[in-house]
Amino acid sequence: MHRTRIKLEAVAFTLPSLLLTLALGIYPIFWAIRYMFYEYAGYGTPKFVGLYNFERLYHDERFWNAVTNTLVYAGGKLLVTLPLSLLLAVLLNRRMRGAGLFKTIFFMPTVLSASVMSIVFYVIFNSYNGMINQLLQQLGWSRGVEWLGANYAMLTMILIAIWGAVGNYMLLFLAGLQGIPRDIYESASIDGARPVQQFFYITIPMLGPVLQMVMLLAITVSLKGYESIMVLTQGGPFGKTDVMFLYVYKMFFPVASTTAEVQQFGYGSAVGFAAALLIGAVTLIYFYASKKLNSLY
Amino acid sequence: MNRWSKRPSGANVLAGAFLVLVAVVILYPVLMAVLGSFKTNAELSGGGSFWPAHWQFANYSKAWKGANFARFSWNSLFVSVAATAGTLIVAAMAAYAADRRDFPGKRLAIAIQASTMFISIGAVVLKPQFDLMVAVGLHRTLWGVVLILIAGHAGTYFMLASFMRSIPRDLDEAAMIDGSGFFRTFRSIILPLLKPGLGVAGLFVFRSAWNEYILPSVFTMTNPKLQTLTVGLANLRYGVSAAMQTDLMLAGACISLLPLLLVYLLANKSFVQVTAGSVKG
Repeated sequence: MHRTRIKLEAVAFTLPSLLLTLALGIYPIFWAIRYMFYEYAGYGTPKFVGLYNFERLYHDERFWNAVTNTLVYAGGKLLVTLPLSLLLAVLLNRRMRGAGLFKTIFFMPTVLSASVMSIVFYVIFNSYNGMINQLLQQLGWSRGVEWLGANYAMLTMILIAIWGAVGNYMLLFLAGLQGIPRDIYESASIDGARPVQQFFYITIPMLGPVLQMVMLLAITVSLKGYESIMVLTQGGPFGKTDVMFLYVYKMFFPVASTTAEVQQFGYGSAVGFAAALLIGAVTLIYFYASKKLNSLY
Repeated sequence: MNRWSKRPSGANVLAGAFLVLVAVVILYPVLMAVLGSFKTNAELSGGGSFWPAHWQFANYSKAWKGANFARFSWNSLFVSVAATAGTLIVAAMAAYAADRRDFPGKRLAIAIQASTMFISIGAVVLKPQFDLMVAVGLHRTLWGVVLILIAGHAGTYFMLASFMRSIPRDLDEAAMIDGSGFFRTFRSIILPLLKPGLGVAGLFVFRSAWNEYILPSVFTMTNPKLQTLTVGLANLRYGVSAAMQTDLMLAGACISLLPLLLVYLLANKSFVQVTAGSVKG
């Protein structure tokens, strides 16, 4: 009798969590799985179209453009962020004055809103009277750079993404570094190993598991990100910064400044599902590749 | 005393210079936002000096009263406080039940929580979520946004569960033997001991709720009165007025950034520890 009551109470304690998660976390996924086989503009009855949405997706140049952009955006961000944050972590892991202050500064962007900072970056990178171009003009470069123009918008978005992410990964690496015993370094330097050798022969192998986990996290997070692009360029100019999940967003909530578009819930669901699958595939490839690398060490 | 001062070698000077350079790049946009928020619009677009010629405190009152940032701030505060409180309560209750009791379906409940952290289909979910809020009549209030934020409590749930595991079971078992019920044990034994965990988790939930942009922007598209700081600010970028009001934008940005910066400076140890702890797992 007493036991069942306690069980009931435990279930009651779980219910708010479970119901909210089922209704607002799980149900929407099944909703998407259903509607990706439909054509549905938000009014009238949804029309069942079978696999048509996926056929359309296959021929949809804007989608593949978004896929390419996503890979460039995520790849460019990671290529700089990961080595840079590892370098910062290694530098800050030594006993030095001011390490705490540097850590506080580097991690700060992680606390700030990406959308709000995007507005600030708009003021900074804006081509006509942005702060950077004003600075360039004062230095005598009168034309400045079209930071948000077709040629440089993606680069600018990558720079902003790096700005926001470096401190976070620095901290994760730092935690991993602190797990490496200091006497290994000491005996290595007695044996004459230079700092660069110590980095490649001690730090990297000893950091292995943390490095792999952080990279897995970094890859999935950067493939999914679209908030600052949405605020800054809305995917433009000419789709140059359109990434997968922004494309999905625009199917559901057409943005004002782009040409009049209708809501496409069915096709949008299919695109969202495909994007999730692609991210899953990239993650799996990484997972197996890093396992292979593991056996090499 | 430390290696830095003992051997100011070339490599150390280089490393120090590099760290300072990165710090300057990281601080630059935030500094420009704060300084710019005190400049006139003409100064901002005309390439004025580093410091404001005259500190324009009026920018803030203009944003606060004229551009509705008082309203936005209140909405942001409401959403963040309600979401934080709700998330902590819901996640703590579920974590308590999962960590301290066995009940049918427990493994499934945990698996469901974990799965929500890995599956992501982007903005697709906003449509069924919105429809659900229409069905229960919450789409015209910020409660809809709050509920959706609370629903995303998986991270907090696992964080609190790991804090809970470090509270000795003997304590609540002793309380139970003394006649304290399941709920009373939770309220008077577990919750007080969980305070540090709740504080840290709350910090993280508050940060993401305060910074949330896409969800409230979708929910308040047709209802400007409910917009939060992030949404109201982003609308200045694509707003109807053609003239760019940079002074207003930066003052608005600072109204949104400064509270969190303050919290961060006061509690950066907690932020830093939990982020680092997540890899040590």
